Amino acid sequence: MFKELSWYKPDLEKTVAMLEKLYRDALDRKGGNVTFRALPPTDVDFYDKLDLEKYNFEDGIKEYAVELCAMLENSFRARRIVDDNMLPTISPALGIGDYSAFVGGEIDFRKNTSWSRPILKEIGDWKRLPPLGTAKWYKKFLQICEEMLKISAESGIPFMRGFFSPLDLAHALRGEAIYYDFYDDPDALHELLDFCADATIKFAGDIYDLAEKYLKDAPYGLFYAKDVINMSEDIACMISGELYNEFCRPHTQKVIDHFGVGHMHSHSRAMYLVKEICGLNNVANLWLATDPNAPRPIDHLDSLIEDAAGVCLAIDCEDFSEIENNIDKLKKGNFSIALPVGDVEEAARLAEKFNRIV
Amino acid sequence: MILENISLSLQKGKAKDVRTLVQDALDAGLSPREILNSGLIQGMNVIGGKFKNNEVFVPEVLVAARAMNAGLEILRPVLTQSGVKPIGKAIICTVKGDLHDIGKNLVKMMLEGQAIDCLDLGVDVDSDTIIAAIKEHEPDLLCLSALLTTTMIAQKEIIADIERARLRDKVKIMVGGAPVTEAFAREIGADAYSPDAASAAETAVKILTGQVEGNV
Repeated sequence: MFKELSWYKPDLEKTVAMLEKLYRDALDRKGGNVTFRALPPTDVDFYDKLDLEKYNFEDGIKEYAVELCAMLENSFRARRIVDDNMLPTISPALGIGDYSAFVGGEIDFRKNTSWSRPILKEIGDWKRLPPLGTAKWYKKFLQICEEMLKISAESGIPFMRGFFSPLDLAHALRGEAIYYDFYDDPDALHELLDFCADATIKFAGDIYDLAEKYLKDAPYGLFYAKDVINMSEDIACMISGELYNEFCRPHTQKVIDHFGVGHMHSHSRAMYLVKEICGLNNVANLWLATDPNAPRPIDHLDSLIEDAAGVCLAIDCEDFSEIENNIDKLKKGNFSIALPVGDVEEAARLAEKFNRIV
Repeated sequence: MILENISLSLQKGKAKDVRTLVQDALDAGLSPREILNSGLIQGMNVIGGKFKNNEVFVPEVLVAARAMNAGLEILRPVLTQSGVKPIGKAIICTVKGDLHDIGKNLVKMMLEGQAIDCLDLGVDVDSDTIIAAIKEHEPDLLCLSALLTTTMIAQKEIIADIERARLRDKVKIMVGGAPVTEAFAREIGADAYSPDAASAAETAVKILTGQVEGNV
C-alpha cells in the first residue's frame, strides 16, 4: 500500500537533518531554528471520514488498519509536492478513549472520536485493577499497532504514538474527583500519579518494542519512538503552576527519564505553564495548540521565548504574514510553525516561500 | 467579622469551617439573607473573580463550591422558613455527543453560588430530554455547554428544536464552552454567551433579575 518514505518526502534527508538539529539545539537550550508545516485539508480531513462506530474491534481490526492506512497513504501522497518540514508518520487513531482504556474499562466509540468513563470510584481503587498489560484494550491496542506496522513497515515511515501524561491518565481514570484529590488526599494522589507513570512506561515500552520489531532496519522508522515519549499535559490547563510542580512534575519527569526525551503537548490556555513544562529535564518540544477564546501563542512570542528557554514550541498561526513579520523574533527561540491552508497547491507555494525567508 | 470568616473559609475550601460558621452566625441572630449574601455569595464572588484572572484554578473553585454547599445545607431550611427564594431556576447540561462535564459543573456551582436553583441534566444530552425538562420544570434559564468544535453545533440544533417545540419564548438560553464565541451564540439564536463560569453566573443574575434580556 505504501511507497518508500522518500517517495512521499523527496527532501527527506534535509527534513530529518533540520528536525534533528532543532531537537538537539532545543535540548542544549540553543535557539535559532524555525521549521514549518503547512496544513492542507488532506492532512486532517480524513479523521472526519474515519467512522469509528462502523468497525468491529473484536474481530475486525484488520479492516480498520487497512482503511486507516489507506487514508494516511492518500494524505501523504497528496502533500508529496509540499516541501515543508513535516515528516509523515503512521499512528493509530481511535479517538481519546484508548488513551486510558489500556489500564482498564471500555471505550465508547462515536463516529469520529471515542470516550472512556472513569473507573476509579475511590482514589485507591487502582490497586484493585487487573495487572498492567492484561486489560482488554491494552492487548487490543497492541494488535492494532501490529496490523498497521505490518502494512506500513516496508515503507520505513516512522511509527508514532502519543500518550497521556500521568495527570491526564489519572484524570481519565478518576474523573472530576481528581480535582478534589489535590486537597483532600494529596498522598493518595501522588500514589495514583506514580501508578499512571508506571502504566505509561510499560504501555509505551511495549508499543515501542513492537515498532522496533518491524522498523529496526528503517533509518527513520523509530524517529518518534524508542528514545522519545510524546505526552499530553491537557489537564494541567486546569491547575496552577504550584500544583503542577508539586503533583505533576515528579511523575511526568519519571516517564521522560525512562525514555530519554520528552515531546509534550498542551494548550494555549496553559501559556502560564510553559515555564513549568519546559522546565522539565530533557523536554525538546512543546506543542501548544491554540484554543478558541484563549490568547494566541503567536501574539505572545517574547514571553514564550523567555519561558520556553530554548525548548521548541510548536505553535500555529492563521496567516503566512504572521510568520514573515515575526521571523527574526522566532529565530531567537526554537519554533515549529503550523499554518492551515486551503489546498496542497497553496501549501507547496507557502512552503517554498518559507524556505526562502528562513 | 463572622461573615468575613465565612467568606474567607469558603475561599479556602474549608467546608467544615463554613458549616460551623454559618450555624454560629444563625445562633448569633444574623439574618439568613445576610449570611447568604455577605458570607457565602460574597466568598464565591471573590473566587469567581480570581478564577477569571487565573489567580485560582479548577481545584480551588471546586473545593470552594463544595464549602458553599456545606454552608447552604445549614442555611437552606432557614432561608425557606423565612421566605427567601432563589432568584430563578436554571437547567444546565452538556450537549449531545459531548461527554465533557467540568465546564458545565463549574457553571452549575457558580449559579448555585448566586442562589439560582439548578437542575443538572448531565452530559451527552439530546433535544428531546431538554424539551421534556423545560416542560416539566419550567426553568427561567437553559445553559448549554459544549467543549468541542464538533459538538458546539448541537447547541444550534437544540435551540432550533426548542423553537419547533414552541418553547423558545418560555426560556432564556445561554451557551458556553471552550470553542463557543459571542458571534456563534448570536448566530445560533442564543440569548446569552459567557466565556467562563464566573461570567456565566454574573450574566445569569442579570437576566434573572430583569436587568438585561441577554448579552448577544
